[in-house]
Amino acid sequence: MAGKVIVITSGKGGVGKTTVTANLGTALAMDDNRVCLIDADIGLRNLDVVIGLENRIVYDIVDVVEKNCRLEQALIRDKRHNNLFLLPAAQTRDKTAVTPYQMKELTNTLREDMDYIIIDCPAGIEQGFKNAIAGADQAIIVTTPEVSAVRDADRIIGLLEAEGLKDPDVIINRIRMDMVEKGNMMDIDDMIEILAINLLGVVPEDEYIVVSTNKGEPIVLQDKTKAGQALKNIARRIQGEELPLMSLERDTLVKKIKRIVGLA
Amino acid sequence: MNSAFTFKVNTRGVLLNLNPEVKFEILKEELKNHVNGASTFFAGVDLYLNIDGCCFQADQVREIMDIISGYQDVNNIYFTSKGSSSKNENRYKRDTVLIKGTLRSGQKIKYPTNIVILGDVNPGAEVIAGGDVIILGKLRGVVHAGARGMVEAQVIAFKLQPTQVRIAGYISRSPEEGISSEKLFKPERAYVKDSAIVVEELSI
Ligand SMILES: Nc1ncnc2c1ncn2[C@@H]1O[C@H](COP(=O)(O)OP(=O)(O)OP(=O)(O)O)[C@@H](O)[C@H]1O
Ligand SMILES: [Mg+2]
Repeated sequence: MAGKVIVITSGKGGVGKTTVTANLGTALAMDDNRVCLIDADIGLRNLDVVIGLENRIVYDIVDVVEKNCRLEQALIRDKRHNNLFLLPAAQTRDKTAVTPYQMKELTNTLREDMDYIIIDCPAGIEQGFKNAIAGADQAIIVTTPEVSAVRDADRIIGLLEAEGLKDPDVIINRIRMDMVEKGNMMDIDDMIEILAINLLGVVPEDEYIVVSTNKGEPIVLQDKTKAGQALKNIARRIQGEELPLMSLERDTLVKKIKRIVGLA
Repeated sequence: MNSAFTFKVNTRGVLLNLNPEVKFEILKEELKNHVNGASTFFAGVDLYLNIDGCCFQADQVREIMDIISGYQDVNNIYFTSKGSSSKNENRYKRDTVLIKGTLRSGQKIKYPTNIVILGDVNPGAEVIAGGDVIILGKLRGVVHAGARGMVEAQVIAFKLQPTQVRIAGYISRSPEEGISSEKLFKPERAYVKDSAIVVEELSI
């Protein structure tokens, strides 16, 4: 098996990387893939909390690279899906505890046994970012409809290209169509026009995400939420399915996006 | 041409040829203007002062040095008297650097030549050119053309919505409101006219 390594990154902090990682991981596992999530946010770990596995951590990623334990010992199996695993970050160390080379080795080992390896990247463009992208085949950039977040996303695309990670995809998170329509929020096609990369999906602002984060239950486990549905659709697009964007956006907008991303 | 000095870029740095036929007072004035307009363009660059054919008094040399060291963060300043090619004053105008692809936030390019970009210049990106800047895409970032004082420099883009455009010592910004979201490309040109940067539709 040769799994795919995907890094979830953003530049700007707090835009939803960890939320997206936990949900895409869960959704991919629900579609019968073997999935491993890596929390690369060493020192500020919280993917374990969001996915509800905090109390099972014994070893972490630094233990693995420092050979205090074997990789299999550090992997935590999800409580709901036995084909979903988490490699947690160390909380008591910092980003320099791992090198890009070690990350590459680690992801290459995991590749043999997994369909997808999803890496939750820390905010920023320093060492933690460099580690997180080192082993990745593909990058997904999360942004919100704010000028500063889009600017940071653009910067990240440039840095990824310089590292040889071409053609990243983008997820626009926390969009509120009521505000966009009133002209109080950046328009999706304005964002895509600047970034000029493929739009993988749009996730609406959803207060249930906060509830689900606090409960440690990814929102894709819920059937009826729009945000959960959007994230499930993104997982299906990652698996190669061609799905139209949800009806969150008006028709004309969808057409525009398609035109811009080259689908129509 | 009777300008007081000309520039030539070579692999070691920038050669500044002083014109022996120009009066010292005029030379001084023009150098001062140039220094004021050049901003940080010479940062980290070695400057070679070609005084071939010139005849200066000691304190005149000192005055020139004082003025020249006003180029911000210039690296080293040397004197030379190699047979100059002062007829080549527009030499760098003919040299052009081609950039393939979009410049994204945080990316900065700087050449003493013309620059042609096959892509967009996004907000947060910066282009600095000694000559013209031609963007075969959208300009939304910062561009400085004629950065070493060449007032005739121009900026051309398929869509001109820069954060800021500078030409030689002049600055202009896009209007704060009314950024048109028009999707049609309409090539435009920015240049200096009567001491201000003006933008006009490019007629090809
Ligand atoms: N679509 C959404 N609707 C509502 N709240 C959201 C949404 N996406 C994320 N959030 C909330 O935003 C906050 C930040 O999310 P998250 O921790 O996933 O961001 P991050 O990019 O990983 O942050 P950091 O850069 O600190 O790692 C969380 O409280 C989360 O619940
Ligand atoms: Mg996070």
